[in-house]
Amino acid sequence: MATQLLFTRVLNEHLAAPVTALLQAFHVHPANPQTPITNAFAMELLVFLLLVAYFALVRSTLSVEKPGAAQHLAEMTHGFVSEQTESIIGHGYERFSSYLTALLLFILVSNLMGLVPGLESPTADVVVPLGFALVTFLYYHYHGVRSNGVSYYKQFVGPVWWLSWLLLPIEIISHFARVLSLTVRLFANMFAGDLVTMAFFSLVPIGIPLIFLGLHLGVAVVQAYVFFLLAAIYLSLAVAHDH
Amino acid sequence: MKQLQYLFMTLAVMLLATPAFAQGVNHDVANQWLPIGAGLGMALAAGLCGLGQGKATASATEALARNPGARPGIFIFLILGLAFIESLALFTFVIIFLKVTPIQ
Repeated sequence: MATQLLFTRVLNEHLAAPVTALLQAFHVHPANPQTPITNAFAMELLVFLLLVAYFALVRSTLSVEKPGAAQHLAEMTHGFVSEQTESIIGHGYERFSSYLTALLLFILVSNLMGLVPGLESPTADVVVPLGFALVTFLYYHYHGVRSNGVSYYKQFVGPVWWLSWLLLPIEIISHFARVLSLTVRLFANMFAGDLVTMAFFSLVPIGIPLIFLGLHLGVAVVQAYVFFLLAAIYLSLAVAHDH
Repeated sequence: MKQLQYLFMTLAVMLLATPAFAQGVNHDVANQWLPIGAGLGMALAAGLCGLGQGKATASATEALARNPGARPGIFIFLILGLAFIESLALFTFVIIFLKVTPIQ
């Protein structure tokens, strides 16, 4: 069994029995019934609580005359997301900025969490990026159908009808490949970053691994941005009107 | 020239003597090439990914130097291109990790 972080252990001490019972009710049998909560799930819960606390703080200290530090940060985030999504999606981008902001902040905080001692990145576990990718997949297909109606399905069969037998499988595979590539990109970057730091820590246990932690900091920010950017681009392709 | 000749002779002898190194290793025969395969695969992927990213970055900086006003558009496409090129190396990494880990 993997080592448990402090937060995971606290959660497992108090919530192991109800969580196991809940999982049994859905016919899921956890590998360790005494400790059903994994590190990744505990870290995700921590990120969720942090973000809810941050948003609650921003909402409660909102003021026009005297904006506080949290409000400045939130306005900067909103400005960044709006600018990026407007340049990618264009007209009608406001509808998507809530989802994209939540995605960006969640992934960013999850990635940066691995740099804090005693915590680890939930995104270094493959199921967490898969969750983000699946939600994004469902979200952009939903908005594609909503904004284009039945003609959304026409983009799968290509421009000419006599090539549709060839293009339909290719399009379907490419849409599923998006889920795969989103998942693997985020997961492998985070995982490889941790692994490289560990490898150099086992070679030189002082000083040198710090360089790779710095590199990992950059990678964490860039990967959160890339995931957000790709989600925005898939959305823009889905909601585009090509007539 | 003479030294090079010696070097190549030594290398040739070492190439012929590979069975000598394998003496006394009682690993599974099917898995004996796995570490070197993993290393070579990752090295190829990383090197070619570096070449590709270098080309992409070179073009982006050149474009930026010619037309500094186009920074936002170039930046988005640069990051996107780098992410796509990088994901190819990461696929290799994941496959190698999946194939190598269960053996230890």
